[in-house]
Amino acid sequence: MTDSSLPNAGAASAAPAARARRSFKRRSKRLKAWFPYLLVAPAVLYLLVITLYPGIFAIVQSFYAVKFGPWRPVGFDNYINLFNDWQFWNALWNTLVIGSISLTLQCLLALTLAYHAYRDPWVQGWRIIFLIPMLFMPSAVAFIYKLFFLDGRVFSDLLIRIGLIDSNLAIQSSVWMSRGLLILADVWQWTPFLFIIFVAALQAQDEEVEEAARLDGASWFAIFWNISLPLIKPVIAVALILRGIDITTMFTNVFIITKGGPAFGTETISYFIYRTGFKFFNFGYASAASVIMLILTIIVAQVLVKRAFVSARA
Amino acid sequence: MATARRSKGESRFIRYLILGAWALFCLLPVIWFLSIGLRPRVEIITPRPIYWPTFSLDAWHMIWEDWPMGKYLRNSVLAIFGSVLIDLVLAIPAAFALSRYQFRGRDDIAFYILSTRMMAPAIVAIPIFFLFRNAGLLDTIWALMFVYAAINLSVVTWIIRSYMLDIPKELEDAARTDGASDLRILWEIIIPAVLPGIITASVIAMIFAINEFLFTLLIASTPDAYTMSVALANFTGGSDGVIYNAIALVAFLAFVPVFLVVVAIQKHLSRGLTMGAVKG
Repeated sequence: MTDSSLPNAGAASAAPAARARRSFKRRSKRLKAWFPYLLVAPAVLYLLVITLYPGIFAIVQSFYAVKFGPWRPVGFDNYINLFNDWQFWNALWNTLVIGSISLTLQCLLALTLAYHAYRDPWVQGWRIIFLIPMLFMPSAVAFIYKLFFLDGRVFSDLLIRIGLIDSNLAIQSSVWMSRGLLILADVWQWTPFLFIIFVAALQAQDEEVEEAARLDGASWFAIFWNISLPLIKPVIAVALILRGIDITTMFTNVFIITKGGPAFGTETISYFIYRTGFKFFNFGYASAASVIMLILTIIVAQVLVKRAFVSARA
Repeated sequence: MATARRSKGESRFIRYLILGAWALFCLLPVIWFLSIGLRPRVEIITPRPIYWPTFSLDAWHMIWEDWPMGKYLRNSVLAIFGSVLIDLVLAIPAAFALSRYQFRGRDDIAFYILSTRMMAPAIVAIPIFFLFRNAGLLDTIWALMFVYAAINLSVVTWIIRSYMLDIPKELEDAARTDGASDLRILWEIIIPAVLPGIITASVIAMIFAINEFLFTLLIASTPDAYTMSVALANFTGGSDGVIYNAIALVAFLAFVPVFLVVVAIQKHLSRGLTMGAVKG
């Protein structure tokens, strides 16, 4: 391969055409090494502008007081205030409570439904029906739930009609009922996401293993629990991570249904940042909260996501 | 034998009970919401809810006549298709490099692209808001297009990459020995082979773009840039409160095309939703 360049370099140097050809070859070789980088560069640059730039911007802004007028440097004040701000901790706590309950429910429901549906002859039909809630705009779903439970009082009325309660439920003034409403709307809309993925994973497994276990007299549930579930564990991990990310960034439902109330009982971290920045124009403070969230995100992404996506592919 | 058969029948009964119950749970709110869209406004919020409303197309006339619905629709379509186009132009070469070449840092780059999917919109909302304000793009469709493209770029790249990884190497080796350049291989062999993946990625990106709410809320401040999703949140007639029947109709207007497209790509849906991590 390199025979022309080394042994008789002195002799060959006479021919300019050969040199030109060689240098072209070298250049094209260098181009070849750079070629894949050239291909990914536009996408990576685009993403850097939209992630790295905001990251740096948020870090810088978090050291300033930014309200209407010019930026005033305040050192670590925003962070210190944030750590002493019960509303910030409250928002983190709410995100965790609402998110974990919602994710657990969705996972259990989706697994139950997928277990019953994946061998069913009408599995295609079930999939299409179950998909429907997922395909409505989240803002529309928020309004469905707002009208049914709050503005229209339909839920209360139905309960009164079957005699469970005597008067309208005061959902809006109860923290737990409001949280429950957010969870219900999320479960309704997004359980299908997990269901679709779980069904696909269950269908993709080797049927012969199931058949063999079946011949040995194992029950369907035993097969599911001992064979199928461990097999699709990597898929479950990926699906839960994707869903978990979206749940912890829940904004639309809070914005439309509860506005964070009552008494900040349903304010999630996304809504906290939105309210601080765009309602009170306290951008420096909101940026400090963003930076902390960013650090948490990077940790989660590095630890959980990398592992899950690598093992699901393998 | 008889007990076995009975238990089989019982388990089937339980199966259909569970699946049927969930199907009702999915469909009843949808049907009820459709009934909201097709009733006059005075029958929506009443002292006692009305379950058998009078049929009315009030809302249908209202969204077209009192609101610039055509404009919202046009904004949505332009912003969404524009963003998907940007995504494909950026993602196809990137996915090609990440799936067909060995180079240093490849896996780190792939993971960096994936990790942007983990970014909460609220975290970057403020800087992005300032970025577009300084660029004079606030309240334009362009800003929406760029943001939607950014949100979906990771998803689109990973889905297409996953489909490209499935193409056997022999296919391009044959072309390479014939002297085809890399770009020609991409154009003439790889892209046609991963067309289902490209379509799947586009559909998923389209759905996310339609659903996007927070950025649109911040960027669009006048009907010039309202999309369907945010226009919904603004269907509040001031002192009259929320105009639910208009919201319901707009929701269905956006739902129908999405539903048809998704049913068409159903087989690829789970793969698309997991960014290519699940084949099935």
